[in-house]
Amino acid sequence: MMKIKKIVSLIVASTIALSLVACGGKTASEGAPSSESKAPATSTAPETPKAVGPVTLNVTTTYAGNDGNAGNFKEAVASWTEKTGNKVNDASATSDETFKARILSDFETGSEPDVLFFFNGVDSNAFVKAGKVVSIDTIRSEYPDYASNMKEGMMGASPVDGKNYSVPVNGYWEGMFVNKSVCEAAGVKIPDATTTWDEFLAICQKIKDAGYAPIAASLATVPHYWFEFSIYNYLDPATHNILPTSVEDKHGKAWVSGLNDIKALYEKGFFPDNTLTGTDDETVQMFVDGKAAFLIDGSWKVGGIEGMTDSIDNFTVTYVPGKNNRKSTDIIGGLSSGYYITTKAWEDPEKRAAAVDFVKYMTSDEMVSKFAGVSATALKNGVKVDESALSSLALSGLELVKGATGMAGAVQDQIPTEARVPVFDGMPNLVTGKVEIPAAVTQVLDAIGK
Amino acid sequence: MGANIYKNKKPIIFFLLPAFGFMFVFLYYPFVQNIINSFQNITGLGAAATGWNTPWYGNYVDMFKDPNMWTAFKNTLIMTIATVVGQVGIALVLALLINNIKYGTVFFRIVFFFPIVVSATALGLLFNLIFLYDKGMVNQILELFGIAKLIDWKDEGHALMTMLIPVTWQYVGFYFIILVTGLNGIDEELYEAAAIDGASKWQKIRFISIPLIHNTLCTCAILAVTGALKVFDLPWVMFPKGIPYGNTWLTGTYMYYQTFNASNVDYSSAIAVLIVGLGIILSQTVNMIFKAKDY
Amino acid sequence: MNKGTLTRKSKFKLSICFIYIALSIWALTTIYPIIWVVLNSFKDRRFIISRSFELPVGELFTLGNYQLAFERVNIFGAYRNSLVISCTVAAVVILFAGLAAYILVRYEFPGKKLLQSLVLAGMMFPAFSTIIPVFRLMNSWGIVNTNNVWLSLLATALPQIAGNMSFSIVVLTGFIRGLPIELEEAAYMEGCNIYQIFFKVIMPLTKPAFATVGTFSFLWSYNDLFTQMFTLRLKDQWAITRLLNELTSMEGTNYGLMAAAVTLVVIPVMIVYICLQKYIIKGMTAGAVKG
Repeated sequence: MMKIKKIVSLIVASTIALSLVACGGKTASEGAPSSESKAPATSTAPETPKAVGPVTLNVTTTYAGNDGNAGNFKEAVASWTEKTGNKVNDASATSDETFKARILSDFETGSEPDVLFFFNGVDSNAFVKAGKVVSIDTIRSEYPDYASNMKEGMMGASPVDGKNYSVPVNGYWEGMFVNKSVCEAAGVKIPDATTTWDEFLAICQKIKDAGYAPIAASLATVPHYWFEFSIYNYLDPATHNILPTSVEDKHGKAWVSGLNDIKALYEKGFFPDNTLTGTDDETVQMFVDGKAAFLIDGSWKVGGIEGMTDSIDNFTVTYVPGKNNRKSTDIIGGLSSGYYITTKAWEDPEKRAAAVDFVKYMTSDEMVSKFAGVSATALKNGVKVDESALSSLALSGLELVKGATGMAGAVQDQIPTEARVPVFDGMPNLVTGKVEIPAAVTQVLDAIGK
Repeated sequence: MGANIYKNKKPIIFFLLPAFGFMFVFLYYPFVQNIINSFQNITGLGAAATGWNTPWYGNYVDMFKDPNMWTAFKNTLIMTIATVVGQVGIALVLALLINNIKYGTVFFRIVFFFPIVVSATALGLLFNLIFLYDKGMVNQILELFGIAKLIDWKDEGHALMTMLIPVTWQYVGFYFIILVTGLNGIDEELYEAAAIDGASKWQKIRFISIPLIHNTLCTCAILAVTGALKVFDLPWVMFPKGIPYGNTWLTGTYMYYQTFNASNVDYSSAIAVLIVGLGIILSQTVNMIFKAKDY
Repeated sequence: MNKGTLTRKSKFKLSICFIYIALSIWALTTIYPIIWVVLNSFKDRRFIISRSFELPVGELFTLGNYQLAFERVNIFGAYRNSLVISCTVAAVVILFAGLAAYILVRYEFPGKKLLQSLVLAGMMFPAFSTIIPVFRLMNSWGIVNTNNVWLSLLATALPQIAGNMSFSIVVLTGFIRGLPIELEEAAYMEGCNIYQIFFKVIMPLTKPAFATVGTFSFLWSYNDLFTQMFTLRLKDQWAITRLLNELTSMEGTNYGLMAAAVTLVVIPVMIVYICLQKYIIKGMTAGAVKG
């Protein structure tokens, strides 16, 4: 009874939505489905979806603002709507904390979009738990080839139940950006895949002696990257993502040792003088201005640095030097967002096919290659990129991914933000010894367990 | 006196209803929800509560034990003094000065308003560049005077001052406009009469201007106190996450941080309740002080 | 006698000079930031931080930021949306807060103290602790998350009206309390009823205060990005602050674009302020008291 009521109200709602669209829209989307409905959906999706009348999909993504793919997304939506005759209400917005809050409250109030491009880590737990999005398995029971071009293990399974709910597009990697002129001025060799941790320390010392800051980082505001790699140094790609159960077990010890390494770097004076008071913007600027040699950051920084400098050839990106079992070429990376289809759209007979078709279109090999550029993807066949259009920095990013011997996701994505506080925002206290490192790790683990 | 007009109480409800209707629906009702939230366990803004806290008042106990909360509280008190003395004080001086000139009043009124309209993000960036360690405007100027050693204006010793100056500066214009509005209500003839009696400039201010804008000053003091409790944007841009070492927390920034960075929504709801409570107490105190002081 | 006036005059001049100097010094500190923003809006992002305090001439100069702002988005539509929202907010707040403040000053009735405390409390509710229940409420009314531009603008204005109400009541209360009650008595004698007294005596006499309140309500509504993030979803609904936020907020903040955005945002506010501040003029009550 309830279900029928729901479906009826959904149909009514979508009809209203349709008529509203028809009022203002230029496409003749209302009425007469006979002439327009034979959507020629052939180009990339192997299977033609069942023909349905024009539908309006509500889509929300993070492809907006200055996101490098905002333009690509706009074009892709335009070509999809043209191809299928459907209409898209695009409510995309820049991803920030307010945006996350908006998405969560949308799910709470039942006003979620039909298709959502969103994070697949702990941020998605609330609506996955509530059954508000459809798992890939469920979709495949009707559309067997849904997301068949993706590697199963890389799609970004939900932390809730380990099942795949979203189809990823472009991912990220983290690496060490290098300002070459600083290295030259200090007379050191630019680190590469073979550089060991001890060699790296020696290089840093030389750079420091030459009067530069070896490592640009704001431990006060963005210690995230150093947290990842210093812990990674005591683990390996297979074990990096296992959360410790206590500060005493193998992983707990790795965390403590890793954080101790950051403290050692701080004590040696390898970070800028104002690393505990400056913001990330300031330290990145130092790096670009040639006052610091190294910067660990994500693939998105390629575009950031391109926009900040005239001499992009002065910059390169390489592996973060490793120690113990972690090879320098073991990188951090992954696919942290993907396309979800909401249960609301799935249970709507009008929208189901359109939503599936939309996601298929957006995650086809061709489209993913276009969106991903130099970043990581889950494509079985890999990306096809036009290398001639890339800067030297972007090319070294591609090299970095190609040469990687192992990849692990960021372990912090498994820690709820609430629990990260003692080691992230508390980092200045850890490196200055105001708080004991094992105590802080214990706090984090307690908070995760809560 | 005047009581005759206001004996008929019928209009009260019609006059109050629109304003309070709006506030009940969009402020008080949601804030009651906020109070309820402060006793529940919520892990993200927009997420549903996962149950009651144990004990239900746990967040309020935590607040007393939270050293950051104490820092925030202490800094906010300093901020309150800075806003009342600095913002309202400077604004009053400027307003009294402008009251004495004929030409250029419009010009000054417009330019003093500028800092309020420029977004905190832009002002924050500007001040960050002015106080930048390597080498912001201040350190460059100091270098000219032969002080070669860079000063980190955001370290423990300087942070609070580096935060207070821009925040105080930003809202002087706000109180200035309110005070100018108040001063303009004073009858010019009062000053003329005083001049005939041989009153000095200072006496005119002391015995005419100040008493007659008494109400306006009281309003400003209340706005300054409540403003200090919730001030957020500029401090947040300049000193995100209470850097250094959580030394610069204010109640406003700490509440924001708990909501959006630490995803501790129930705790931030408790802080909001505290802020509102403090605000009411402080502003009633201000009211009493101003009522007691007779001119 | 003659000599006396002379010295008085020169002394007078000296103090006036001092006043102008003091005011000008403060004015310098307030003008500089806006000039800094405007100058930097003509620089490429590469130079904003490293060469922040230089003039945008030669290689530093670019119109690129403005080009980007105008190319990417429908900036005029956003201006219109902003003006609709913020003018509505300012107008409604002025009227309703005025009525409420008048009652709270002139009438004695049980519960008045409580209402006054509620007004003060209302000033301190942070928007992010009230937005979720408000959003749910408006969702149940069906005015958020629709494709209708006007409904979205309404949904933005409603919470903002409530948000600015407390501040406005507090300020207006202060000013109405300062009015001599004799004027109202005189009007009452002449047969005015309470509504006429409000609109024909109170409102005209406190016009400067209403202008002040209107200015700030407009300003805060205009700059309130947070509510807009929840209520304005589709591109054609975006107000100017929301729109420019989309342009400028992302990894590796583009400060050049931000400076251009701030400039574009500030212009309408300045126009509104300049229009309204002329009501803040001298001696509104002066003639009236005499009469």
